[in-house]
Amino acid sequence: MKITVKLIGPFVQLSGFSEKELDVPDGTTADELIVIVSIDKSRPKIVTRNGRAVGPDEALAERDRVVISPIYSGG
Amino acid sequence: MNGWTGQILRVNLTAKTFKKETFSEDFARKWLGGRGFAVKILFDELAPGIDPLGPDNKFIVALGPISGIPAPNTGKAIVAGKSPITGGYGDGNLGTRVAEQLRRAGFDALIVEGRADGPTMLVIQDDKVEFLPADEVWGKGTYETNDWIYAKYGKGVGVLNIGQGGENMVRYAVVRSLEGRAGGRTGMGAVMGSKLLKAVVVKGTNPIPQADLAGMKKSGAGDLREVQQMDKKAGWSIQGTNGVLAWCNEVNALPVRNFRKTQHPDAWKVDGERLNNARVATYGCPNCTMRCGIAIHDDEGREAELDYENVALLGPNLEIFDLAQMASLNYLCDDYGIDTMSSGCVLSFYADAIDHGAVAGTYGFNDLKGSKRLLGEIARRSSDIGNILAEGSMRAARKFGHGSIDYAMQVKGLEVAAYNCKFIPGMALAFGVSPIGAHHKESWIITFELKQTSRESYGPEKAQKVIELQRIRGGLFESIVSCRFPWIELGWGLESYPKYFNLVSGLNWTLDDFWVISDRIYSLIKLFWLREYPQTDRKADYPPAVWFDPANVDTEGPIAGKHLEYDKYDGLLQHYYDLRGYDKRGIPTKATLERVGLAEEGRAAEKYGKLT
Repeated sequence: MKITVKLIGPFVQLSGFSEKELDVPDGTTADELIVIVSIDKSRPKIVTRNGRAVGPDEALAERDRVVISPIYSGG
Repeated sequence: MNGWTGQILRVNLTAKTFKKETFSEDFARKWLGGRGFAVKILFDELAPGIDPLGPDNKFIVALGPISGIPAPNTGKAIVAGKSPITGGYGDGNLGTRVAEQLRRAGFDALIVEGRADGPTMLVIQDDKVEFLPADEVWGKGTYETNDWIYAKYGKGVGVLNIGQGGENMVRYAVVRSLEGRAGGRTGMGAVMGSKLLKAVVVKGTNPIPQADLAGMKKSGAGDLREVQQMDKKAGWSIQGTNGVLAWCNEVNALPVRNFRKTQHPDAWKVDGERLNNARVATYGCPNCTMRCGIAIHDDEGREAELDYENVALLGPNLEIFDLAQMASLNYLCDDYGIDTMSSGCVLSFYADAIDHGAVAGTYGFNDLKGSKRLLGEIARRSSDIGNILAEGSMRAARKFGHGSIDYAMQVKGLEVAAYNCKFIPGMALAFGVSPIGAHHKESWIITFELKQTSRESYGPEKAQKVIELQRIRGGLFESIVSCRFPWIELGWGLESYPKYFNLVSGLNWTLDDFWVISDRIYSLIKLFWLREYPQTDRKADYPPAVWFDPANVDTEGPIAGKHLEYDKYDGLLQHYYDLRGYDKRGIPTKATLERVGLAEEGRAAEKYGKLT
């Protein structure tokens, strides 16, 4: 299935892209996507879809726009 | 007394006198430093009802037990006084060499009283204090003033100065230091200006008293290296604070068009990636391990230092999506010495008020030229509208009428920081109950709201989280006086702070000891407000009405149709009051005051406002 991944902040430099469309296996979870885009799994982060957080085991869906961000704390 | 110098410098500008005062170990342990010292001094010494821009107000610079000690991000100072924009307790922090220099001069705090008979620069060199004329730079911006001071005293001195905004008592004028640091958006620059105090220069040569000097030196040096490595690994400094802009846009939390919208397709043009790409220099505070000041060239070729709040409020909030253009507005705010956040909100409010017919004018959104012109008129109070906007959005709204107060983006008079809470109830609460008016420095819970609970929730878990963060951010960091960034952005352990404190003081405190002090400080700030506003009620803790307005909802996107709800917000506020031990007006009860050691202060406040 095709999804769009948007990375935030330092993840852009660490993973080498800012936003792109990815073709991932059906039922890919948020945690599996983290591995696909080469982000350290132990790094604190928040994954959102349509402005809402996605749990680590939650399956993504076709045409999702998934945003992966480090935990910001409001400066 | 290890950990503190044990002395406060009191200066009277009217009489051109000064005296060194000692404080007791009991005072130090009860109030810690920084904000704690400031609010206790102001509560004890200011008569309620005084004019914040008159000679009876006091301008305070306060430091904490680890200020200026070589350890991660300790180069900060607190500036405080009665706020000209809120009429309540006001303070702010800024990175400055004053943190170390004033302590080396032998003082944990400076109290400035009275009003000079002409523009004055206060120069403190150890225990020598001079009142020097500053006519040469009166009317000049902060950059030129800073250079003028450096030319006289060298770059190693601590400097606080104001620009035209402070001189003309713009109610949100700030205090400036170093290349791009600013603090005291509650109008502390205006308080300096009201006293004709253009600058404070500090040079100290004494050691700062520390119980375990060798232990602190070793621990501080190791931790400085470690936090630097953490930042390098995490890459946080690559985009700095503006990294969060793209995220705010994605989760509908970005202020666009005076907070009317929460997202914009052009936001990427001013995000952290673009800012990093345009970087020409990087600045930080003394002892900084993760310098966040990213400077770029503005549209006139000047160097301007940008952070998220400035970019969001002077950029998307004004519908300006060009970094260099936005940077020029930031440069002007910094040079005039007026707060970038309030300036952005005041300009967006004015454009919105014109849009809604509350006032006639030609200014509008995406109006770079008009924005530049207005900032100058505000800083100099050189036109009728500049004079009105220099009063802040709340007072301007009262002048404009036509219900414009509903979209003046402020709480208690202080403009909100750059988080659009149309559908983020907990963060709206954080703005509502911030003890200085709307500010994010006390508590920021958006990630918690999205990740640990549901966005819709108005449950007690959000009130509890706001309190937890207030204790850490507004209590510990503002009173031990250190930058919170290593902890909040990199996860540097909070336990480091009692470690530093114990090394310098010789005491054996845990984090719990700091939470007790934090609650005491928040309660005394509330008593300060009660004396000023005896008729206060819980409505003072409500965020801007426009966030509750069904007519102001997003019409598309993931939060389409969503807005805050009054009855639910009021319930969330009650959770906060219950957990804090406050009454229905949001004032600490007598039992709470007793618990935090403020029974005496409660009795003093009760002469002015009722306690329950």
